[in-house]
Amino acid sequence: MPGKFSCISFPSTILLGRLLVRLLLFSVLWCVLAGLDWQNWIIGLPTILAATFCSLLFAPQQPCPVSFLGLLRFIPFFVNLSFWGGCDVMRRALSPAMPMNPGLVRYQVSLPEVPQQVLLINCISLLPGTISADFHEQCITIHTIDRDMPVWSTVHHLERRVAALFGIRVAGGRP
Amino acid sequence: MAFLHNLGTICILIGIPFFVSGTIGLLRFPDIYTRLHALTKADNVGLGFVVLGLALQAEQWNTVARLLLIWLLVLVASSASCHLVARAALRKKIQPWSRS
Repeated sequence: MPGKFSCISFPSTILLGRLLVRLLLFSVLWCVLAGLDWQNWIIGLPTILAATFCSLLFAPQQPCPVSFLGLLRFIPFFVNLSFWGGCDVMRRALSPAMPMNPGLVRYQVSLPEVPQQVLLINCISLLPGTISADFHEQCITIHTIDRDMPVWSTVHHLERRVAALFGIRVAGGRP
Repeated sequence: MAFLHNLGTICILIGIPFFVSGTIGLLRFPDIYTRLHALTKADNVGLGFVVLGLALQAEQWNTVARLLLIWLLVLVASSASCHLVARAALRKKIQPWSRS
């Protein structure tokens, strides 16, 4: 099984980098959860080491570096869209006529790596008017609450943003 | 501090209608897919405002970080479970409700 226990096959520099990033991340997380009292580290240190080990074990084979600038641009974009998603649902739920025209739409993904695709699928469910209902052979089935909404262009825009987050460019996606 | 406290209260009050409309949507919407729309989106925005409000009222930095962490985990959990519920429904051949 080449996919499992993939960290063993990494070059040592990449492995060391990944190890240090995870150790730092889980240490900060422990501080957040348990506070700064050093006595907590009696439990904290083994937990951090175990978490780092598990995280490396399940790390994807190909490194997927996140661009910091891309992340800074992605967060406001995402917060803005999910806010309008909430407003959209609120309007439809509270309106006496309950305006909606639901249907299924397919979208062909061009993002190459699994972590990027997972992020895209999860973000679609928080966009205005769309939830991702299935993913099979690079094709996302999207349920839209209103078929008159520009679903394809919204998802395509999101896909380009996700690609920018990982510092890559995508050609383009088909409906 | 009173200013931040009041601002936090306003944020929490903004968040509550989103939770309420998510629940109203859950009760009113016609099928499983549209109900998922109501739950994931409205509740996430509602929780976002409540977390923001509580973070503004928090007295320690790690309370703020813990609240943000809760929000992030709920975001991930709700969008992933939304996808899984919708996928299970599609694979059981449950047809989406349509206007016509």
